[in-house]
Amino acid sequence: MNGFDLNRAYSVARKEVMHILRDPFTLVLALGLPVMLVTFFGYAIDFEVRDIKLAVSDLDQGPAARRLKEIFTSSGYFIPVEAGSGTVGMLDSGKADAALFIEHGFSRTVMGGGPVTAQFIMDGSDNSKAAAVSGYLAGIQRSAAFKLGGAATPEGLAVETRFLYNAELNSQWFTIPGLAAIIIGLLAILLTALTVAREWENGSMELLLSTPVRPIEIIVGKLAPYALLVLGGVFFVYLSSRFVFGVPFAGSRPLFLAFCLLYVVSALSQGLFISVATRQQQVAMQFAIIIGLLPSLLLSGFIFPVESMPPFFNYFTMILPPRWFMEAVRGIFLKGAGLRELALPFLALLALSAALLALALKKFKTDMEP
Amino acid sequence: MKTGPALEVKNLSIKFGDFTAVDDVSFSVARGEIFGFLGANGAGKTTAIRTLCGLLVPSSGSALVGGLDFSDGGKGIKKIVGYMSQKFTLYNDLTVGENLDFAAGLRKMEPRYAAERRRELFELIGFDRPLSTMVASLPGGVKQELALASAILHDPEVVFLDEPTSGVAPASRARFWNLIRKLTEMGKTVIVTTHYMDEAEQCGRIALMSAGRLIALGSPEELKRGAFPGPMAELDFKGTEDVEFIRSLEKAPGLLELFPHGMRWHAAFRDQAALSAALTGLPPSVSSRPVEPSLEDVFIRIIEGAER
Repeated sequence: MNGFDLNRAYSVARKEVMHILRDPFTLVLALGLPVMLVTFFGYAIDFEVRDIKLAVSDLDQGPAARRLKEIFTSSGYFIPVEAGSGTVGMLDSGKADAALFIEHGFSRTVMGGGPVTAQFIMDGSDNSKAAAVSGYLAGIQRSAAFKLGGAATPEGLAVETRFLYNAELNSQWFTIPGLAAIIIGLLAILLTALTVAREWENGSMELLLSTPVRPIEIIVGKLAPYALLVLGGVFFVYLSSRFVFGVPFAGSRPLFLAFCLLYVVSALSQGLFISVATRQQQVAMQFAIIIGLLPSLLLSGFIFPVESMPPFFNYFTMILPPRWFMEAVRGIFLKGAGLRELALPFLALLALSAALLALALKKFKTDMEP
Repeated sequence: MKTGPALEVKNLSIKFGDFTAVDDVSFSVARGEIFGFLGANGAGKTTAIRTLCGLLVPSSGSALVGGLDFSDGGKGIKKIVGYMSQKFTLYNDLTVGENLDFAAGLRKMEPRYAAERRRELFELIGFDRPLSTMVASLPGGVKQELALASAILHDPEVVFLDEPTSGVAPASRARFWNLIRKLTEMGKTVIVTTHYMDEAEQCGRIALMSAGRLIALGSPEELKRGAFPGPMAELDFKGTEDVEFIRSLEKAPGLLELFPHGMRWHAAFRDQAALSAALTGLPPSVSSRPVEPSLEDVFIRIIEGAER
């Protein structure tokens, strides 16, 4: 009598699978959301900056100036726009994103082998664009010094920047694996919140509890099918990362799975808590979308790096499972990090999952009155 | 066959914080009895039933269900009772077979035994549609009968039905009460709540609850005799109410109660002599005939008495 009865939990799980199979909303959400997110972030959203409109004010008109312009445009990041008299005005009006000023006598000085300067002005109002461009500039400067100065590369210009793990700074490599966190976070929390709230709402929870079935068996039975469904979504993300977007997978798959399971537990617990607290599908859905989506999207490092958040948020993210999961996913995918490197995220996620699960179970058990 | 009462409740109270939902209630129910709980919404019927099903633990007092107490938190009780709640019947998006399989799974019934019970109960309720029928497509009365089958699939000793016929067509209600009687013939004890007076008449005994307290307990006959020990007459004014006459009748010696009943009036007296004395010399426009008090009259009188 005491303890956990697998048969009863299985009965609950089997019933839940029937519900899922007959409910188009759940199926569409569970299968459609991963596809939609991957497409959205894989193709539509690109953190790389290209096609920067560059206005050139060339007062030199010499061969070296022409070479310099070529170097900018052939980099692929810049497209030249015709610059009239007011080059700076073009920046103001948004007709250009950046401007290049080449002074009189630029070519002559280059021929003479002397030090030269060209001025580059960038519209800094979009700071993510500006940050990306300043990165590109280092490469262009190096290339210019080499091409214009011939073999005699001035030592001082050799700015060495290499990006490890993602040498091309390919933003898809960075975002697509991270989608696993969004999908688990949203799907697991939302579906769990809905399925348990539904039993409260139509009064069947009371009937379940009037049988010898134990609360823990109801929970395990109801949540297991959703855990599988959500892991299916993660598998889809993994496949599309690897084979559609060519993201390398440098780490260990069992470790990745272990992190996914931990994160799924934390998400299911949150969903359970929401459904016990709200007991209505409508309200549960609103809470689940907010709690499922916002932290994983905004505070996990998925888009905004955790390190550059204000100190309060930087510390605040530490109690959010998505932050640790995001760190682990990127570490495993791109760096091939193992458990030793990911010990902190692992322990943090373990502790958070255990705490959330305990909280949800306690709420469920003490809150069974209608 | 076990002996002893099906339910033995002594000084049972159930509290939610400061609110006392069930207040010091004592009664006992014999095996094979149909025991009705009546009372307004919020009177404590559902809370009492939920406790006796093992869903809530008594705050004080004691309750034995089929001889079992709450020392194990209600686990033992849950095994020997069947419960049909007010709101939920069956999962609409599952088939009949899936619903019953689920009920059997929760009770850990052997598949062969469950199938046998299912056949027996289908015969009992006269259900002959395929197992693959979606519950959503069934009429309300049939759903209710299937919900009963699902609640008693595990052959419980005591069956609790919380307003089982609310929102069901009258013909289906009669069918359902036939089923309840059949269950008691099979030795089951049925505890039922209802708002319908015609259903209350069919209970062996009735417990009337108000504000958490048990204010009357007995068979319908006993309750009627207790509330109205003497005869009752129905007065028909044929549409023209004689206010003067009603005023004078109110002062008649031996009158227990005079109250409107639909278009007519009911007058209850202490004894036959008082009735004869009061109703001699009726105006020609008023006719009178002897009537049996209805349960509704009884409950109104008891509840008013309890509130006074």
